[in-house]
Amino acid sequence: MNRLQRAAVLLELTDRLSAGGSWCGETHIQKATYFLQELAKVPSNFDFILYKHGPFSFELRDELTAMRADGFLELRLKPPYGPSLVTTEIGQELKAEHPRTLDKHRRAIRFVAEQLATRNVSELERLATALFVTLDGAPRSAEERAEEIKDLKPHIDLESAEAAVGEVEEMMGAARAL
Amino acid sequence: MHRLLLDRARTENEDKRVSAQQASQLPGGKFSTDINAHLQMTDNEVMCALLEASRNSGISEHDAAKRIVSREHFRVLYERNPTDVERNSEAGKQIFEAAIARFGKENVRRDSYTQRSGAFDFPVHLKDHRTASSLLISETLRKIPVVAVDYVYIIPEKRDEALKWLEENRTKLLERKEKET
Repeated sequence: MNRLQRAAVLLELTDRLSAGGSWCGETHIQKATYFLQELAKVPSNFDFILYKHGPFSFELRDELTAMRADGFLELRLKPPYGPSLVTTEIGQELKAEHPRTLDKHRRAIRFVAEQLATRNVSELERLATALFVTLDGAPRSAEERAEEIKDLKPHIDLESAEAAVGEVEEMMGAARAL
Repeated sequence: MHRLLLDRARTENEDKRVSAQQASQLPGGKFSTDINAHLQMTDNEVMCALLEASRNSGISEHDAAKRIVSREHFRVLYERNPTDVERNSEAGKQIFEAAIARFGKENVRRDSYTQRSGAFDFPVHLKDHRTASSLLISETLRKIPVVAVDYVYIIPEKRDEALKWLEENRTKLLERKEKET
């Protein structure tokens, strides 16, 4: 994907998340893009690292800023949380100019949005960290992965970590059919 | 404030050009990590190297050094314009590529920079012990634009011709190429 194709995919993901009820702040888009890339295998080619609140890509943050500079996205403020990212009219035009790319990845984008749109940032952190731990390194049992999540993120209790690992496994199963 | 940021980005781009010339004069292309050796590299050494390269056509950076020393540096052909970006976010890139095709790779340069990091959004603890986004509290933070600069440069010898060419072909050059429809 070139830069504009990738931007069109990010805009479609933003719109789908928003339509599904997501707050659509940067954290929501970061985690959803991580799932889109690593679970649904859409080749967006961002480097993600395990950061303070789960997988995070500095490249993606820079790209979202660049997309604001180019007028594809804008910040919209609505209390009580931080700003939401909203696709602009120019962003919609960009999407309309990339129908083939969007058709190719539409199912994956819809799948990820359906799975994540209603999640809050705490849930997204748990799920994205569970996916990161699952994909990182040698295969381990669900219990081992839950323990690792608890070690990495002590504020996540073991029960929530186990639930997140279970949910991610279900999502991985469903994503295979894409 | 935005103008200040733009000027700073432009100065950084000038610095980059001098640095590129300078790097070729350094052992291994890098400054020494030895503190004493590093401190011995003063403006005088840099100016000497620049002058030497500008006078000796056998040195690989002769052309760049000569342009800096004799103020024959590349001149602005195109700078990012919000109206153009609205039509085509890749305006600078397309004009750069078209200018290379028209005037030759060695005669055209581009400096492009878009601000990294996100919005100035952080939680603010209010007097009533509630928390709110800094962007909701501060109108000033809300109004800070994203810094984005994009310049295409041309050698001074071809500047007039290039400006005329750009003026005549601007509309066509700004058409977005990378679309699938």
